[in-house]
Amino acid sequence: MTSQITTPRPRQDASRTPPSRKRQGKWWLPKPLLALPAWAWLLIFFVAPVGQVLWFSFGYKPGIFGTHANDVLSFDRYAEALSPTFFLTFQNTLWVGIAGTLICLIIAFPVAYWMALKAPLSRRGLLIALVMVPYWANFLVRTIGWQVILAPEGWLSHLLQGLGLTNEPLEILYTRTAVLIGVVYNYLPLMILPLFVAFDRVELPLREASKDLGANRWSTLTQVTIPLAKPGIIVGCLLVFIPLMGDYITATVLGGARGNMIGQLVASQFQTAQNWALGSAMAVLLMLIILLTVAVAALIVWVASRPFAWRRRLVIGEDS
Amino acid sequence: MTSTAPSPTVPDRVDEPLGTVVLDGVSKWFGDQLAVDSLDLRVEPGEFLSLLGPSGCGKTTTLRMLAGFEHPDEGGIRISGNSVLGLPPYRRDVNTVFQAFALFPHLSVAENVGYGLVQKRVAKSEIRDRVVEALDLVQMRRFADRKPTMLSGGQQQRVALARAIINRPSVLLLDEPLGALDRQLREEMQVELKLLQSRLGMTFVFVTHDQEEALSMSDRVAVMREGRLEQLADAHTVYGEPASAYVAGFIGRQNFFEGTADAVGALVTAHGTVRGREAVPTGTTAKAAIRPEDVTVEAAASGPSGGEENAVHGRLAGVSHLGDTLQYLVELGDGFTLLCRRPRPGAPALEPGDAVRASWHASSVLLFHT
Repeated sequence: MTSQITTPRPRQDASRTPPSRKRQGKWWLPKPLLALPAWAWLLIFFVAPVGQVLWFSFGYKPGIFGTHANDVLSFDRYAEALSPTFFLTFQNTLWVGIAGTLICLIIAFPVAYWMALKAPLSRRGLLIALVMVPYWANFLVRTIGWQVILAPEGWLSHLLQGLGLTNEPLEILYTRTAVLIGVVYNYLPLMILPLFVAFDRVELPLREASKDLGANRWSTLTQVTIPLAKPGIIVGCLLVFIPLMGDYITATVLGGARGNMIGQLVASQFQTAQNWALGSAMAVLLMLIILLTVAVAALIVWVASRPFAWRRRLVIGEDS
Repeated sequence: MTSTAPSPTVPDRVDEPLGTVVLDGVSKWFGDQLAVDSLDLRVEPGEFLSLLGPSGCGKTTTLRMLAGFEHPDEGGIRISGNSVLGLPPYRRDVNTVFQAFALFPHLSVAENVGYGLVQKRVAKSEIRDRVVEALDLVQMRRFADRKPTMLSGGQQQRVALARAIINRPSVLLLDEPLGALDRQLREEMQVELKLLQSRLGMTFVFVTHDQEEALSMSDRVAVMREGRLEQLADAHTVYGEPASAYVAGFIGRQNFFEGTADAVGALVTAHGTVRGREAVPTGTTAKAAIRPEDVTVEAAASGPSGGEENAVHGRLAGVSHLGDTLQYLVELGDGFTLLCRRPRPGAPALEPGDAVRASWHASSVLLFHT
């Protein structure tokens, strides 16, 4: 056998360029253009209406028959909106919003955990359907249903009195408690579903690996399952908290005078008082409050989790 | 929990050395499916034992019962002399390397490896030292602060290994840990795993469906079939003296001939007479197994001569290159194809379509009663 030294062929030829993109497909569009429908949707249904509300909020109500005018711009509507009534309602709304979201989380957590990780796989479809069933009925109808249940002369009141648990008729309807019951009932599925998806994505081998390495059920829950389900938990809280803060149907039906929410104030300015400028200012304030609350909540969670994260953190570094 | 109570036949504590694994008549049902059928098995301390079998043979279920993820319906399991019946996984002195690695995606490589020590509330400085030590052992120190998702399959495998041995368990369970790797990496890891095992002196229970993997690494191989132990022996014995036609067929390739024994104890088959080392009782049926590497093939000088033993005539259907060996496919008629493998140097030059004669020695014939 003769040995022959071969010079390796250069692997890359500098003059070679990747084939033109235009020739690869049949038709070609710049990529940003492909996102046009999404942009258009966002622009028409989100940016424009919010911009319009913002614009109105700087105007005023021109007269008894006008709803808004913008020829003189000012912050006066905001000053007007920040009345004692607004603060009281704002406190109430925030209380219902935070309590409602927390109660939803506390109820939904074990339910979603059980649905995703413990319930037999063959029953899952049924369980999800059961969570969704209330949504087949109209929001308003469901809320009025609670009005019937919670009424002092309703069957719940009679039942409790019959069982001897209370001597007086149930005095819950048209209070903040009734609103809270209503919003928890109405928004619970919005918490259960993202949590279910989040828990479902925490694969069994990961939880088994955790137990195999010496973590008991509680440690596995806090160190593996919850950290991995965190995005779903955040989504669930936002999905409940944000629409809940703006909700006015539940508060109108169940809250009465004592269970007022900001959503009702906004609605009454647009519908009853026909003062779109003031209503817009209130709506803008509501949006700002929601953003601020979410930011504060995120900050609190972040700060509270620091010690735990620090304790778990282990950096080796590149050195020798 | 009824399973916590030790059954009267299984004592709670037996004097057995650290790292001994004993399965005592273990059965496990899934619904009406018997996954593991009264399995008796003893793994010696420091031994590398493979559970080998096709999928559904109960090998993974057996491993999961050792880990504590499944609990046996009957029988007892002892690890280092202690009954582990009813004991949850986190209270067992075993660790597992999972099939798909199961690394925690939210933790870095170092945090993954240190997870077991955090659970044991080991001091942070010691965790750090031992994580570095474990990562050095699998040559993954450089990747300590990365997330597992940024690693290749082989690297993830090493991290999973480091994570499982950091608690210094007396028994390491490996559930097809090399299944997700490509062939070359798998062979490298086989060598590394074997070296690691002898260095650590840990008992390894290794589950695989890959017979080559089992043979190359194990001290002993437990061949399983339908929840039962078919043969438990060292690689040499399992390969050379399979206990049953099933084991013979599962470990390596075989040419099987079925037939009835004649007056002198040779097997009369549809393709000729096969004689083994020992005589088969006259009139009984049996199965003869001959390994492809024990068959020689040559160009046929003449047609089949009557009465020739341990030789067949046929037509060469094809030759394939297996690297260091050549494989010949000889068609004997009736759709029966005989496999023959010869080492590349000195392998006969034959073309497909040639008339060939294949033969073997009586000493290479294994006989199994049917």
